[in-house]
Amino acid sequence: MNYELLQAAAASNTWGAILPELLLGCLALGLLVLEIVLPKKRHDLIPALAIAGQVAILVGLFINFRTGYLGETTFNGLLKHTESGQFLRAFFLLSSILVSVLGVVALAKQKMPRIEFFHIVMVVSAAMMLLAQANHFVLLFVALETITVGFYILVSYTRSNPLSLEAGLKYLIMGALSSGLLLFGIVLLYGVAGNPALPAHTAESMNFDALRLFLAANPDNVLASIGIVLVLSGVAFKVGAVPFQIWIPDVYQGAPTPVTAFLAVASKAAGFAILLILVRTFAPYASLTTPVLTIMAAATILFGNLAALTQHNVKRLLGLSGVAHAGYLLLGVVAVSATNSALAVGAIQFYLFAYLLASFAVFGVMTHVAGMDDADQDLDHYADLGKTHPFLATVLAIGLGSLAGIPPLAGFMGKLLIFIAAFKAGLYGLLGVAIFGVVISIYYYFGWIKAAFFSTWKAEGAPDTRPARTEVSITARLTLASLALASIILGFYQGPFGDWLMLR
Amino acid sequence: MPSTSIALFAFLAPLVSAAVIALLLRRRGGIASYVSSAAAALVAAGALALAFGGERFAFSQEWLRLGDFSLSIGIKYDDLAALMLAIVGVVGFCVHLFSLGYMADDAAKARYFGGLSVFMFSMIGIVFADNLFMMFIFWELVGFSSYLLINHYHEKQSAADASKKAFIVNRVGDFGFLLGIIACYYALGTVSLDGIAEKIGAGSVVTAAIPLLLFCGAMGKSAQMPLHVWLPDAMEGPTPVSALIHAATMVAAGIYMLCRIQVLMVPEALTVIMWVGTVTALYAALCAIVQSDIKKVLAYSTLSQLGYMVAAFGLGSMAVEHAGEGMMHAMVLPVGVGAAMFHLTTHAFFKALMFLGSGSVIHGCHHEQNIFRMGGLNRKMPLTFSTFTIGVAAIIGFPYLAGFFSKDAILFLAMKNNTAVFALLALTAVLTSFYMVRLWRIVFFGTPRSQEAEHAHEGGLSMTLPLVILAILSIVGGYTAIYGNAFAEVWALIPVAHGSDHTIILAVSVAVMVLGAGSALLLYKRLGGDALEAKAPAVFDGLGLLKESFDGLYNYYVAKVQQRFAMLLNFVEQIFLAGVIVRGFAGVVGLVGIGARALHVGSLHAYVYWFLLGAVLLWAFAAGGF
Repeated sequence: MNYELLQAAAASNTWGAILPELLLGCLALGLLVLEIVLPKKRHDLIPALAIAGQVAILVGLFINFRTGYLGETTFNGLLKHTESGQFLRAFFLLSSILVSVLGVVALAKQKMPRIEFFHIVMVVSAAMMLLAQANHFVLLFVALETITVGFYILVSYTRSNPLSLEAGLKYLIMGALSSGLLLFGIVLLYGVAGNPALPAHTAESMNFDALRLFLAANPDNVLASIGIVLVLSGVAFKVGAVPFQIWIPDVYQGAPTPVTAFLAVASKAAGFAILLILVRTFAPYASLTTPVLTIMAAATILFGNLAALTQHNVKRLLGLSGVAHAGYLLLGVVAVSATNSALAVGAIQFYLFAYLLASFAVFGVMTHVAGMDDADQDLDHYADLGKTHPFLATVLAIGLGSLAGIPPLAGFMGKLLIFIAAFKAGLYGLLGVAIFGVVISIYYYFGWIKAAFFSTWKAEGAPDTRPARTEVSITARLTLASLALASIILGFYQGPFGDWLMLR
Repeated sequence: MPSTSIALFAFLAPLVSAAVIALLLRRRGGIASYVSSAAAALVAAGALALAFGGERFAFSQEWLRLGDFSLSIGIKYDDLAALMLAIVGVVGFCVHLFSLGYMADDAAKARYFGGLSVFMFSMIGIVFADNLFMMFIFWELVGFSSYLLINHYHEKQSAADASKKAFIVNRVGDFGFLLGIIACYYALGTVSLDGIAEKIGAGSVVTAAIPLLLFCGAMGKSAQMPLHVWLPDAMEGPTPVSALIHAATMVAAGIYMLCRIQVLMVPEALTVIMWVGTVTALYAALCAIVQSDIKKVLAYSTLSQLGYMVAAFGLGSMAVEHAGEGMMHAMVLPVGVGAAMFHLTTHAFFKALMFLGSGSVIHGCHHEQNIFRMGGLNRKMPLTFSTFTIGVAAIIGFPYLAGFFSKDAILFLAMKNNTAVFALLALTAVLTSFYMVRLWRIVFFGTPRSQEAEHAHEGGLSMTLPLVILAILSIVGGYTAIYGNAFAEVWALIPVAHGSDHTIILAVSVAVMVLGAGSALLLYKRLGGDALEAKAPAVFDGLGLLKESFDGLYNYYVAKVQQRFAMLLNFVEQIFLAGVIVRGFAGVVGLVGIGARALHVGSLHAYVYWFLLGAVLLWAFAAGGF
């Protein structure tokens, strides 16, 4: 590559376009520096600083929401800035903040180095924010690997706990396997699109726009088809769609609770962010992707709900119910794939946001109810929560109700919008499966609520197996209350936010 | 402030009070009682300002639209609503004030006053409602608040049973009401009061079924036969509640509703309504004679008076006469509305007065309710005695007190329209003055017949002031001139006797009063026990049986018919629904769930095979293998 080319490439490196990611990275590094500089007893300042810094970045992002880069590609076509991207950036930043808040609560119970946790969470979040704007397979893969590697560490963070280590190892091997599949798919697509013998072949075959043009010109290429399904299976691992869901319960159970929340919400949302980009890129092959995604969605909804039905460990339960949620979201993706409707994209994003509010509310309660052993969180531990901690129990009930899709909570609106989009796309069979799944899910969600609110009979003098519950700090109380309130309000009134999502 | 905002203000103040009490003040009964009373004072002030402000208005707001079916929420504020709102406001305020003293030592004051606020809100909703559907909503809400308040002493089994009974009996009536509303919508295409009047005015004809179904609602709420059984039991509630809900306002809502839908009435329906009212009036008066509980006497008296109003409504719409300037105009006027509403107004004042008076007696006698264990209270509680005396005089139609005018209006109407009804109502009037004078004599005269009566004492100012206010209203409430022009539309419909009719009515009315009161005074000379029981046990037992007969019949029906049918249904439900469908289905799903759970073996090898299987399947699909 000669000097002029490099210069031209560097000229499109508009660093201002990724200022939030840069700031987040710098903040993450700054935390490590602070850990060295500050005396040990002042280290409790650092998490507060991390949270405050992220909130500041989020506010900055909102102020600069309609940035001038919208609709443009930067970094030589690596990134494409869209309104969806902006929304997802805010989404990942918000979940990063919430994970940090949960982290403060959960890490206080462990004898662990604390600062690295926040550092890694923020680096992973920055990678997710980049991923949401990816327009190129190289960036996609690099960002995805940054996320995955970060999660390897986070999942096995409580390294004194064998379950956490086991979960980390499982996640590592499964993740490596899926990265292999993904990479193999990318290579196939790269190879076939760069083949000079084919029409519309391109030198930029990693670029999504170029790839779409190539795929449109070659509708029935077997290699491209195989590349596409392999890329999809790599992403299906991230979102936990059947048959790549099998790692979820073990990893969710072993990981520290804030990390489980991070996995459940942000990692899944990241998967759907790529999936939405990819489905549009693969639009010329809709006759292939639509049936694949349809079968995946149906199997995912059914498997997730049925497997969650018999769980007693709440982390496994949430993991499997999360699989079911991925299924509902896949339903939206199928609608996008089948009709490329903007309504479905808006519905998915609304669903993700409602899911974020509800999940973090539930995980927030879980961090307070959990004891020393983070992996052992049983439904029985929630006995009498309604009496001893009415605040936590209320937040839990609202969060679970929203996850179950009980009107008038936000989760209900999310499901409703997705179902409407699916109905408009004519996916009646899939819709039937989804509704069946929702009916099943109400059973286990309400079982949990019941465990928290209704006392169960216990033999006289039987040992109390419930771990001691953590006191709710002011910050956590405010956070949980606003999550629950937002879940209620967003169910009643979607307002400009809903309009913006639906009518773009 | 414009009238509409005053109306909204008065409408929402009790709701705000109820919400504040329910959310914030559940454990602070003292503050709650003042919040609720302040809301009631606002309602009273608003009601009077609106009534005498002279402005009448209507507005409505669409609430729900399903296709071409729409429901609206609106306010129709005419003279009729103004009168009802004024009654609700004034009596409501008096009762709140009285409750401050009466309930001072109650442990659950906040629940009580919250319930009162809910009731005020719902009652105003009925008054304002400009369509039947909205009226039905608030109709149910007053039923609910009545349930709450009857059940105030819920630790008492009898109170819990009474509230349940009131609720269920009302449901029976409300079911008919709802059917009537639906039938009305089906027949006329509207449930708005103005809309109905318009349609009828334009010549639409309705069958008798619609007004009669709507009347079912009034039968439940106003406790007409055969749905009257809940009202005597409802006396388990605190006495101020009995005064407000079960004497002055809620039970009168049925009459008010009938007056609202007067245009729908066809002659056949009116005849039925008239006879239901007359029979109720007579029956309840007979039952009242043998009661020994002070509140039960008043409860049967209320039933009887409600029957009077219903009978008046049923009678009057047939009257054809009007005196014009210098010559007679032949004109059909729904004078039944005027007579019923007039009696409703005066009855609200003197019956609330007597209930609060009885509350004062009960409070003074440390919750003794048996009249044979009272006595001699005229010296212990002079103010209660004098105000109660005014109430008794008003209800028995003592000349120139409130009840005299309204009762005469009804009797006159009956005389003109139906002689049989006239005779029965006159007989009822005899009985009324008989049992009221009996009560008055036994409670207040002679010597104290128990420890409690010995130590009876007058309550504080908050309990005596409402008595005085209501006593004044019971004296002057019958002179329509004192209301100025405020309710002119309603008062214009009161039937007034002229000439020889006037003399006949006056004579009859005074005669029945003297007859009833005189025989009571003669019979109850010895006050230790029930003189009637001693002298004519057959009559006494017969009347007692009359009272029991309905309860017995209903109990028989519930135990032998309904209960057995329910058991049959339960059997079917247990076997078929719960057994086969619910558990069978859940079992299958549960089994699949266990299977899905078993797939998570925890071994990494197995998981890797899952991945490979997935990849292979997808590969095969993409390569066209399927």
